[in-house]
Amino acid sequence: MTSGKGRLAGKVAIITGGGTGLGKAMSQALAEEGANIVVTSRRLEAIEPTARQLSELGIKALAISTDVTNSQQVNQMVDRTLSEMGRIDILINNAGLVRGQRPKPIWEIADEEWRLGIDTNLSGAFYCCRAVGKHLVDQKSGKVINVASGFGLRGGRNDYMYCCAKGGTVQLTRTLAISWAQDNVQVNTIVPGFVDTSEWQPEAPPVRMGQGGMGGPKGEFIPVGRFGVPPDIGSLGLFLASDASDYVTGGLFIADGGGMAGCGPTGYAPIIAMEGE
Amino acid sequence: MVSERFKLEGKKALVAGDGRFWVRYAAAALAESGADVAIAAGNSKKVEEAAGEVRRLGRKAVAIPITMNRSGQVQKMVEQAIAELGKIDILVNAFDLVLAKPFLEITENEWQRVMETDVTSVFLCCQAVGRHMLEQKKGRIINITSCLAERGVANGSVYCAASGSVAQLSRALALEWARDGITVNAIGAGWFSEQEKTGAAQEDYLLRFLPLKRYGHPGEIGSMLVYLASDATDWVTGQFMYVDGAVMAHP
Repeated sequence: MTSGKGRLAGKVAIITGGGTGLGKAMSQALAEEGANIVVTSRRLEAIEPTARQLSELGIKALAISTDVTNSQQVNQMVDRTLSEMGRIDILINNAGLVRGQRPKPIWEIADEEWRLGIDTNLSGAFYCCRAVGKHLVDQKSGKVINVASGFGLRGGRNDYMYCCAKGGTVQLTRTLAISWAQDNVQVNTIVPGFVDTSEWQPEAPPVRMGQGGMGGPKGEFIPVGRFGVPPDIGSLGLFLASDASDYVTGGLFIADGGGMAGCGPTGYAPIIAMEGE
Repeated sequence: MVSERFKLEGKKALVAGDGRFWVRYAAAALAESGADVAIAAGNSKKVEEAAGEVRRLGRKAVAIPITMNRSGQVQKMVEQAIAELGKIDILVNAFDLVLAKPFLEITENEWQRVMETDVTSVFLCCQAVGRHMLEQKKGRIINITSCLAERGVANGSVYCAASGSVAQLSRALALEWARDGITVNAIGAGWFSEQEKTGAAQEDYLLRFLPLKRYGHPGEIGSMLVYLASDATDWVTGQFMYVDGAVMAHP
């Protein structure tokens, strides 16, 4: 960290969906810099081992079972964090269903499926921001990080709820950033590329990213030629959670091995000679 | 049939470009909507071809074979176009010299040629025609470039840099002349080919990637061009419009 110290000693961070995958990677990165961590998930068994592991780093870690689509549970989670940790400095809205439901034609999507998809990937972040927002603004210091996706910036065939919710997440970030710009609360979006988190959740059957998916079986369709690993995203989370990013707000940070930079199939490297005039 | 809103009858256009296919299709699209068109490019055969197309469509054509690398020549080109057409309402810059090769192998000369053709020409034409448009307090400038202005492709460094320059030049100029009745917009072209290349050719690596499973035909840029050239777009300026078969929406 060059522009700030990047240390988080004494800070308190909430990471939703923090028990596994990218959430766990960010929890780990923040804990290593001294932050006390609250990890949430619907299933307590998904976050308790993570909390235990994190507390071995000498910080205070707490696992709170929360369904982020239920605003009452979100409010209770925030109240409990305040009473047990004493403060909140950082909120990372990471909970969501990766890609969610199986893509299908729009006319086959029921109202309930639409609502569930939007609630899980967008409303949950809104509820969490609402629950901690007043606290951050009053203390005139805070960091909010929303995890979006490349599918919030580009379309995915028949992938309505996920793409729409993640696109909404980008705008939630910008709106909050503008609203809280003078309250010293920075709000930013992370756009992770295809990250292989399978080794990070040994309790789940390993889901190799890209099996028949867009990254290619071994990540060969990603410009740098590999999937991301959790620390790739953890470092970005740390940057945006720490004082290194105090003048950074409303931004969108892509860590995707170059995936969003291209305009053609990966590996497409044409040779075109100059035509005579 | 062209809607009244997009009619260009009575309008005079100057299409300036290089040897690539855009000049011909741009000139034809404007003529089809009713504009008289002056065509200027280095390749006199292509200029004649485009002029012939305009005449076939029943419009006046002015052929100006000219290499666009010096301001004096560009000035003369503009004077000739105005002398023969009476004025210029629409300027289309269709410079698209493509070069793709590994970065370390690009010579300084090649870099300069691409930059001069694709960027400097646009600068010179906008300046020369802009003076005239500022006097009229009305004008339309449309710069055709590539959507690689906003994305990269391996071996495409010079071309991507040139395209990005044109996109940004268009935005900045749009703001500079926003209150002078001149709109400046750019078109970001996707993957185009004059030959029909469709999903049948599944062995084509790039084709498989394209959402529409086909390359665009250069003629398909015409309707966007006419829209931006018409009186329907008084309030549209500084925009970068993709005509790309959804490539930019694609993951």
